[in-house]
Amino acid sequence: MSYSKDDLRDLFDGKLPWDKVKEIMSKPKDDDRFEKYVEILQERVPWPERILLPLGEHLYVVQKGEERVVKCDCGHEFGDWRQNWKLSALIFARDDTEKLEEVYPGLKCPAPNLCEVREFYCPGCGSLLKVESVPVGYPIIFDALPDIDAFYREWLGRPLPEEKEFKDMTHEVTREWGRDLYQADE
Amino acid sequence: MSESKGIGEGGKTLKQMMEEKERLYRETGCYAGITEPYLLREDPVKGELFHSRIMASLIAGRETTRMISGSPFVREVAELCLGLYTAEGDNIAQSTGIQIHIKLMGDNIKWMINKNYEEEVGIRDGDFFISNDPVISGMHAADVYDMLPIFWEDELVGWVSTVIMEMDTGAVSPGLMPIPNVERGTDGVKFCCERIGSNDRLNRDFEHKIEICLDMSDIYLLDRKGAIAANIRVREEIKRIINEFGIDYYKRATKELIEEERRNQIARIRQRTIPGRYRSVVPAEFPMAKQPVSWLPAKRDTIRLIPIQMDILAPGRIVIDFEGVGEWGWHAFNGTPQAVWGGVSITTVQTLAYDGRGNLGSLLPIEVKEPPVDSLLNPRQIKKLATSTPWAPLLDVFGMWMHLLGIAYYLRGFREETFNYRSSAGWQMAGYDQMGTKRPLMAAGTGNFGPGACGVCDGVDCGGWLATPEVDLGSVEVWELFVPQMEMCRRLDPYSVGYGRFRSGLAIPQVVMIHRSQQLVGSGIIGTASDGIIPNLGQFGGYPGGRRNTMLLRYDNLPELMEKRQPLLYELGHPADLKNRFPGQVFDMGLLAVPTEIYEGDLLVSASASGGGLGDPIERDPALITADMDNGLTTEWQVSNIYCVRTSYDEEAKQWKVDEAATRKLRQAKRKERLARGVPVKQWWEKFRQRLMDRALDPLLLEMYQSSMKMSQAFTREFREFWALPNDFTL
Repeated sequence: MSYSKDDLRDLFDGKLPWDKVKEIMSKPKDDDRFEKYVEILQERVPWPERILLPLGEHLYVVQKGEERVVKCDCGHEFGDWRQNWKLSALIFARDDTEKLEEVYPGLKCPAPNLCEVREFYCPGCGSLLKVESVPVGYPIIFDALPDIDAFYREWLGRPLPEEKEFKDMTHEVTREWGRDLYQADE
Repeated sequence: MSESKGIGEGGKTLKQMMEEKERLYRETGCYAGITEPYLLREDPVKGELFHSRIMASLIAGRETTRMISGSPFVREVAELCLGLYTAEGDNIAQSTGIQIHIKLMGDNIKWMINKNYEEEVGIRDGDFFISNDPVISGMHAADVYDMLPIFWEDELVGWVSTVIMEMDTGAVSPGLMPIPNVERGTDGVKFCCERIGSNDRLNRDFEHKIEICLDMSDIYLLDRKGAIAANIRVREEIKRIINEFGIDYYKRATKELIEEERRNQIARIRQRTIPGRYRSVVPAEFPMAKQPVSWLPAKRDTIRLIPIQMDILAPGRIVIDFEGVGEWGWHAFNGTPQAVWGGVSITTVQTLAYDGRGNLGSLLPIEVKEPPVDSLLNPRQIKKLATSTPWAPLLDVFGMWMHLLGIAYYLRGFREETFNYRSSAGWQMAGYDQMGTKRPLMAAGTGNFGPGACGVCDGVDCGGWLATPEVDLGSVEVWELFVPQMEMCRRLDPYSVGYGRFRSGLAIPQVVMIHRSQQLVGSGIIGTASDGIIPNLGQFGGYPGGRRNTMLLRYDNLPELMEKRQPLLYELGHPADLKNRFPGQVFDMGLLAVPTEIYEGDLLVSASASGGGLGDPIERDPALITADMDNGLTTEWQVSNIYCVRTSYDEEAKQWKVDEAATRKLRQAKRKERLARGVPVKQWWEKFRQRLMDRALDPLLLEMYQSSMKMSQAFTREFREFWALPNDFTL
């Protein structure tokens, strides 16, 4: 089972006729999807770094020298993929009725004393990368931390040259921020 | 001394068979120790025929029930399902329908085996067993399981089970899934895997009991007869299949079907996802302070966190963890570890194992870590609690898990499988129907809402009901015969949407006018625990749908409006000014409407909201936007403020058109606005951290965080780490 890159391009762009989309949904899945997916995305970005894994509508984990960083298609970089990229984004927190009602008017408005709708923008291009709706005070969610080495090594059968330890490194960022705060207090 | 002979294979007891099968699984990693499924592989055509015959019998059985039953839930909505099980209670195949019960039905059978029914109660050919107690297994007390053993000669070789959602189980008013009930007895009539018939006949004493205990005993008994007829039909067909294929083939091939599906499921996980860690959270709101509860400590509002972590492991296994879930409470919304499996079943069947081969094997590669004891998902006191509605927070959990799976599909390139779900809430009633009979009254409209956007197109309008892939709320005209109400609205609500490059499906708000009831009480019914905190279902820049609403609208002068043939409310319109537009009073009932007297002409509104949009809304194709405008699926306010598209109406062509240059400018301006409004996360973090240090949160949230911290050291550690709080910090 395999589809042409043209069909897949149209599929991702929402241009494929519904009967074809339905067929792709219902039939057994195509084994070469990931390879073609990455090729299509690589052709679309203006920068040369190799895409290891897509991470969203605009974000990718790319190989940059020996590092693996999260990069927007505009070129902005967010740092190591094991640190939550959201911490390197711009945030706009809808935390009162006025800001919430810009999107959710009247009856549709969440309770501002309980709910915060956080929007994360790319500092490079202003794309809206993620909307996060959580109870006020909930730590920013690290939506997806892919185990890239396990994927390439054990599922694709072609390990990446320099394997990295699979771990969440986000707290290193917040620890550093906390240190800055404590120093400021002193 | 001679040992008594068991009813299982080779004179073993069912318990011995179950223990042996589990030992073999532990030792080999393969279901029932089947390391080589040779029967199905050596003659795949025969194997396919075998499976098709089983499936056909289950689907035919389901249709049989629909023909016999009198309940609109069965006849119209088809809220039922049949499954075939091994002697040990493992699912071999499942009919079409409400797939949530694959494992739950089997857990009832396993419970009987573990409780030594074989010796102490007796299991004979032609026995009918019934259960609807979520303490044993199930999603809520309204789901009734009818089970029938299948004997071949003197050996029990399997079970067939039917599940039907009942419209009345004799619970406290309003009687189906009542909100004010918090104690077990208020759930109504419960059966704990009890025998209600033998020799293929329903016991008369059972019928007498139902006739006395239930307002809708006729419906309940017809449902039993429908289920029993279906079970017998399947049993007889299975005997024909055994006759044709041979008993040895049947026993081996049914086990191989489970093992093959286990392997296929692992292969699908490896083919369609990316290994790694995926996370989100479901906040569950339980506003009980105003409810007329009998057990007074239950009169309090609480919110509980249900963090969800899904780990996809390299061997193709999935582990689900609820570390950080808050404490149980005195309400009917506590889950159970068994009920969590209901969600696992439906989620995997809808997005991974949708080829009709779903069975226990679909679930074997998945591990659900047991939620902490005394948490919301595992209360030790479950036997004392009402269990009319454990599914309220659980449906939110399952919708969120689908969302997480959707992220994994998207990363791998299978964007067409990316979507999510949310559930809803609304009204149920008790009182006199239009024929003058007092009974519980509920229609299916609250199950109507839009699923989240797909990764390659908009979500299906009005096509989202988590519990079943076959969404059908039935004919309005039938419901109007069944409940003293008239449906006023059949329009998709543009404001139910989750915005995005691809938008969610839209929902039709249920607006019913009460008609010809002499006395009626309305009350909340919920399939969600999300109210003031909207679910975190926005995908890759899309927004989650907004708040859902339960309202009571009371006209000031309905007879005069009708006399003058003035239009009545038939759509909700802009959510900011409904209260100004409606010629009467508008009561916002919140998530759990308190019991309220309802009168002739009152409008009961259950306005669902949808799952999440996908992608940045300002990247939505303007052609999709004008198409939505032409079809009345979006409004000028949304087009201008959310999608940033400039449109005008072409009077000649009778359609909307896009001003492309103005749209480009609007969208550029929106990006600039974002860059100006957005602040570095560190700046926001420092400010909020100080707020936490000052404990300046709503008291409900403070209690919510305290509850999770009490339940989990890991949650507490991560919370402190994220906010760089002192090691002894508490809220």
